[in-house]
Amino acid sequence: MRKRLAAITVLGFTLVAFSIAWAARVGESAPEFTATDTNGQIHKLSEYQGKFVVLEWTNRGCPYTQKHYNSGNMQRLQRDWTSRGVVWLTVVSSAPGKQGYVTASEENAYLKQANAAPTAVLLDPAGTLGHLYDAKTTPHIFIIDPKGALIYNGAIDDRPTTDVSDVNGAKNYVSIALEEATSGKPVSNPTTRPYGCSVKYAD
Amino acid sequence: MVLLRRRGIVRLTACAMLAFAGRSNAQSPGESRLKVELISDQAKSSPGQPLWVGVLFRLEQGWHIYWQNPGDSGEPPKVQWDLPTGFVAGSIRWPQPIRLGSGSVVDYGYEGQVLLMAPIRGSSSRNATSLPSLSADVKYIVCRDMCIPGKAHITLSGPAGGDWAAWHALFEQTRAQLPRPAPASWKVTAVSDKQHFILSVEARPQAPGASFFPLEPSQIDNSGPQDFAPTQNGFRLTLKKSDQLTKPISTLRGLIVLGPGRAFEVAAPITSR
Repeated sequence: MRKRLAAITVLGFTLVAFSIAWAARVGESAPEFTATDTNGQIHKLSEYQGKFVVLEWTNRGCPYTQKHYNSGNMQRLQRDWTSRGVVWLTVVSSAPGKQGYVTASEENAYLKQANAAPTAVLLDPAGTLGHLYDAKTTPHIFIIDPKGALIYNGAIDDRPTTDVSDVNGAKNYVSIALEEATSGKPVSNPTTRPYGCSVKYAD
Repeated sequence: MVLLRRRGIVRLTACAMLAFAGRSNAQSPGESRLKVELISDQAKSSPGQPLWVGVLFRLEQGWHIYWQNPGDSGEPPKVQWDLPTGFVAGSIRWPQPIRLGSGSVVDYGYEGQVLLMAPIRGSSSRNATSLPSLSADVKYIVCRDMCIPGKAHITLSGPAGGDWAAWHALFEQTRAQLPRPAPASWKVTAVSDKQHFILSVEARPQAPGASFFPLEPSQIDNSGPQDFAPTQNGFRLTLKKSDQLTKPISTLRGLIVLGPGRAFEVAAPITSR
């Protein structure tokens, strides 16, 4: 709120403030962002015009996230969809000192060990990207279409538990949305309730 | 966990180590963050009367579990009763929750101690006078700045030292915290505009403040402000709609909370503006 008020006081930033307040609404343009990955590379959403982009919020200390990594579910999704040309950006918005905060080299080591396959992992310790999209939980998934419109905002699947045994048989909203969107169909379930741990933003 | 391959186990261990780095007491599982016990209101069940039993959670300071609508994160505890033949359990009565967290992620739940009570009824032919043999499987997630899932198999075995008065007192304290139906004199309605539900409560005497706890997720923005305004006959609460609300709803259900022990169940019919 403080940030938003500060922005409003500067006339030129009024529009920015409004785009933050109503940011990640399905059917509207996904907010533009610039973020740095674990290899120091800069990613801008607008660079990916023409491609589908997945944003996946993560916190590897969170048991809901662990459910999808320990089962291999998340890595499978990353591999399946990046091999089909989708850009998969994992985002870490844990603040320094909070659960899930990682340095670039720690995250790179983990990615290797976990056999994870996102396009990149964006480090967002200030929570800027998280707040821009209003990411609530880990996991929390957003999908952006090739024109830059947000087409999915919500959970990874329909089983809001920490049980690894719930992965099989769950309705995977992300795969369904991507299958539909990549074959030119509208997403049947574009908004669901994300479930998980709260994103560990700075206080 | 048994199904994890070797790589999975290595990964899990590494996760745990990293997650808990810097915390001396951190490798304890969820059970060390809370104690969970199955208790009953009385020493015996009376024929024709339900026996009230409850799952008592005692949480370490700073830790919480969740209400039936957990809010933005977490999940409510799940209780699976294991009852003798002929017994049935009624639904859990969820005490008044508190608002947890700040900023853009807000949850509803309990800190300290909470009793989730439910009535157990035996078949009428049974002349039950002693305590039936009851147990329950409880699954929960307990969170502070991190979350730990846990489960427990708990059995009703009577209070330590036979101190039934202590158990009975816990039920009485909890009953005082249970939401009640809104007084018949209240008139509760809601108006829907593009971004808000405006909840109007006609109620006397005038309340100095109120908050709303939605029974269903994805209807109101949990972290949004709840603007309270006194009106001529009561008050109005302006609630921001959830971004996850994609279809119109006809009724807004939840609790109007006026203070500790003053939570009222409401179901406000919604009209569009």
